[in-house]
Amino acid sequence: MKRQSKPKVAFFDFTDCEGCQLQFANMGTALLELTELIEIVNFREIMSEAGEDYDIAIVEGSITTDNDIARIKAIREKAKILVALGACAATGGINGIKNRSSLDLAKQRVYGDKAGQINTIKVMPLDAVVKVDYYILNCPAYIPEIIAVLKAMLLGKPYPLPNYPVCAECKMNENVCRYEKDQECMGPVTRGGCNSWCINKGNRCYGCRGLVDNPAVDAAKDILQKYGLKTEDILNSFTLYNDSQGAKYDQEFK
Amino acid sequence: MLDREILLEKMRTTPYLPMKAKIIEAQMVTSKEKFFRIQLENKINLGHTPGQFVMVSIFGFEEAPISVCSSPSDKGYFELTVRSVGVFTDRLHKLEKGDLVGIRGPFGRGFPIDNMFGYDVMIVAGGLGIVPLRSLIRYIMSNRNDFGNVQILLGFKSSKELLFEEENKEWMKRAEIKFNCTIDRADSEWKGNVGLITTLIPGVDINPARTYAVVVGPPIMYKFVIRELLKKNIPDHQIIVSLERRMRCGLGKCGHCQVEGVYVCQSGPVFTFNDLRKFKGECHEKAV
Amino acid sequence: MKYAILKKSDLNHWLKHLKDRAKLYAVRKKENLFVFRPVKEVQDVCLDYIPTILPPKKYYFPQKEKLIKFSVQPFKTAKAIDKFEDFILFGVHTCDIAGMQCMDVVFREVPEDPNYLNRKDKMTIIGIECLKYCDQYANCTSMGNHVPRGGYDLMMVDLGDKLIIHINSEKGEKLVTGLDYIKEATQGQMDLLESTREEKKKIFKEEFTGPLTKVYDTFDKSFVSSVWKDVGRKCVACGNCTAVCPTCYCFDTQDELDLSLNEGIRYRIWNSCQMDDFAKVAGREDFRKGRDNRQKHRYYRKFKYPVDKFNRYFCTGCGRCTRACMAEISLVETVNSLLREEKK
Repeated sequence: MKRQSKPKVAFFDFTDCEGCQLQFANMGTALLELTELIEIVNFREIMSEAGEDYDIAIVEGSITTDNDIARIKAIREKAKILVALGACAATGGINGIKNRSSLDLAKQRVYGDKAGQINTIKVMPLDAVVKVDYYILNCPAYIPEIIAVLKAMLLGKPYPLPNYPVCAECKMNENVCRYEKDQECMGPVTRGGCNSWCINKGNRCYGCRGLVDNPAVDAAKDILQKYGLKTEDILNSFTLYNDSQGAKYDQEFK
Repeated sequence: MLDREILLEKMRTTPYLPMKAKIIEAQMVTSKEKFFRIQLENKINLGHTPGQFVMVSIFGFEEAPISVCSSPSDKGYFELTVRSVGVFTDRLHKLEKGDLVGIRGPFGRGFPIDNMFGYDVMIVAGGLGIVPLRSLIRYIMSNRNDFGNVQILLGFKSSKELLFEEENKEWMKRAEIKFNCTIDRADSEWKGNVGLITTLIPGVDINPARTYAVVVGPPIMYKFVIRELLKKNIPDHQIIVSLERRMRCGLGKCGHCQVEGVYVCQSGPVFTFNDLRKFKGECHEKAV
Repeated sequence: MKYAILKKSDLNHWLKHLKDRAKLYAVRKKENLFVFRPVKEVQDVCLDYIPTILPPKKYYFPQKEKLIKFSVQPFKTAKAIDKFEDFILFGVHTCDIAGMQCMDVVFREVPEDPNYLNRKDKMTIIGIECLKYCDQYANCTSMGNHVPRGGYDLMMVDLGDKLIIHINSEKGEKLVTGLDYIKEATQGQMDLLESTREEKKKIFKEEFTGPLTKVYDTFDKSFVSSVWKDVGRKCVACGNCTAVCPTCYCFDTQDELDLSLNEGIRYRIWNSCQMDDFAKVAGREDFRKGRDNRQKHRYYRKFKYPVDKFNRYFCTGCGRCTRACMAEISLVETVNSLLREEKK
C-alpha cells in the first residue's frame, strides 16, 4: 500500500529498563521495512536527534510518580495513537512488586533515611491514567508480536489481546510440559501470544503477559499445590508481574 | 457450465478460496446497519436458498458469516445487510460501491421452501432476524401462488432500528399478505403497535396444521415466541428457526458453530423446533 | 508376499533406504518424552516409546497451515500450496493409526477438505504393534485399538531379534521388495507371531469397567451429571487435552499480511473448544459457557457425537489427554465415574 505521508512515531519511556525499546531496535530487517511505513522521529536508543511532532506514541514503562501522570497525559494529548510497549506499560509489569507493601515501607527499604525526599505513588500501567489504543505485552516485548501489533495499527485494525493461555502455543510447539518435569509454570493462566518463547528455550513461564481474561485461578492453585508450592509461593508466582492489576485480580488471588 | 455447477465445482476443489465479488451498491440503512448489493465475478448467480449464508472475506481481516437477504429470484447479484458489531463488520462498513470482497458459499441449509409449498406461512422476525427472512419474503412474493395465506410479524426495539422500511410499506399494501409490525418501546415518530413481538401472536388467526411459522431473531427471543406458537398448536416440525453461531469454515469441520453433535454451518442454520428438541441441553434457543 | 522379516541389526539399513525414498518422520526422544521428527540420524529412531507429545496428526493437519495466499490491491487470491511432498511416517502406534482413520472420515465428508486429503495422499504409514502397555494412562484395549485394524501400509511386530512386517498395500510392498536383507516370513516365524499375540492378550485388559456399548449408553444419559461439575472444577482450560488428541481437529483461520501490508496468507491454526472465546459470536454471546460444559463437549466428541454420525468412537485410547493434563483429569476415571453413576 502506498502512503502519501508516513505517520511520525515517537518513543517515550517511564519506569522501566528500556529493554523493550532495545527489542524494537533489534528487530533487524523488519525495522528497515517498517521505516518504509513509518517515520521514527524520536527514539533515543537508535538516534540522537529528537523531533517534537508525532502521530503515534510508543510508550514503555509504568507510571510511578505524580510527574509521570502529567507527562503521560501530555503525550496522550498530542498522539493520535498510543501504544503501550512491554509489560511495564501494558500491565504494570514487575515494578508492581512495589505495591505489595505500603509506599512508606517501600521508600524506607530503598532510600533509607532519604525516603522523605522521594515522590512516589502506587505503580500503574498506562491505561490506569490514559486511554491505550494498542498493547504490546511481554517482558521484554516479543519481536513477532511488536510487528503484528504495528501491522494491525497501520491497517487501522484493532489488535485484540490473545485470550488463550501460553499452553495452547506451548503444546503446538511440542514442548515437554514444565509440570512433567516437576517445575511450576504460569503457562495455564497466562495470556498467550508469545509463542511460548520462554518454554521453547528451556525456561518456565513467569506470567509476564498478565492473566487470561477468565483465569481458572482455583484450579491453577490446586495444581501448584499438587506440585508442592506453599500458598505464599503461589501468591508470589501469580503476582510477580501482576500486582499492579491488583484491583482486577485481588479477589481471586487473596 | 451452469452457475450452480461452477459453484459446486469450486466447493469441491477449492472450498477455502473466496471468489472475487464487487460491491455494486452500498448504503447505511440505520445508524448501525449497512446494506450491500454484491455481484460475483462473471455475474455468476449465487443460487442460494433463502436462509443460507455466505462467508465474506476482506483480506487482512479474515472472514465472517453473513446471511443473504435477497431472493434467489433477484438475478445477477445478491444482497447483504450487516450490523457493525466487531473488527470484521466495522471494516466491511467502510467499504463502498466499487470495492471488492471475497465470497465463499452459499453455505448451510436454508428454509424448507419445498416442504412449505401449499402451506400458510407466518413469518416472525425480531430485529436483525428480518435480514434472512427478507430473502424468504421476497421469494414468496415472486412465487406467491405456491403458498397459502401469508402473514408477517415484525418486531424492533425502536423505530430507529426499523429495517427495509420502504419494502415494509410495500408488503403492508399487498392485500394478499397480512402485515403487522411492533416496536418494544414507544417513541414520538411511531404510529403503529407498541410491545414485544410475542404480544402479536395470540391475536393471529391461523389453521395450525396448515401453517409453517418461521422465526428468526436474537437468541433470547426464541423461547418466548416458540412458547406462543406452541399455544397456537403449530406442530414442532412446522416451527422453523435459524440459529446464530460462530461459523468459521462453513464446511462442518472447524468446530466453532457446533451445537452438541450438529455443525450449524452445514446442518443449519435453519432447523425445525423438532430438531431443537433433540438437543439435550446446550441449545439456548430450545428452552420452552 | 504378505509377511516379511527384517533382522533388527538391519533396521538402520532399511531406515536409510526409506529416507532416500521420501521424507521420513519417526520417533525420537525429547527430554523424558518422545516426539515425531524428521529423521536426521537413523540411530536416533525409537521403536519402544510411550505416545509422542503430539500425535502424528501434525504432519497431515499441521498446527499452522497455509490455506490461501492473497493480495489486496489488485484483488488476487490463489491456493497457497500447489505441491505436497511424499512422506513416510515410521513406527506409528496402532492407536495413532486409529486416530488417522477418524480424521479421514471427517475430512472426507462432503464438502471435502482438499488440504488434508492432498497431504494424506502423499503419506505412507509404517506401524508398530505394541506388545506391552506404554504406561498406566492408555485405554487402547477398551477402544479396541491395541491391535492393528487396517489403515497402514506396513505393520511391524517385534519378535525379539527380528521384526515381522505385515504388508497391507502395494505402496508398502514396494518398500520391502528388492532388498536382500528383507525376506519373506517363514511358517515358523508366522507361528511365533501367533504365539506372541496370544501372550499379548494376557497383558491387555479392558480399562473401562464396562464394554463400549455400555459407555455409549451411559453418555446418552449423562448429559446432566455431577461428574462434569467435578471435571470442570479441576480444569484449568489450558487446551492441552485437545492439542494432543489424535482426533481433535478444531481450527481457526487467520490472515497475516507481510510488511507491504498488501500481500498475505490465510492460515488455519489449531484451536480448542476448551478456550474461552471458542463459541463466542461477534455480538459476544457465548454459546458454550463454563469449563464443565466445555470438558463435557470434548468427551461427547469422543464417545457420543461421532458414534451417532460415523459409527466410530473418536477416542483412540492413546492416553495423551490424561498424560498431558496437569490437573490430573483422567479419561479412564471420568468414563468409569459415569459408568458407576449410571449403575446407581
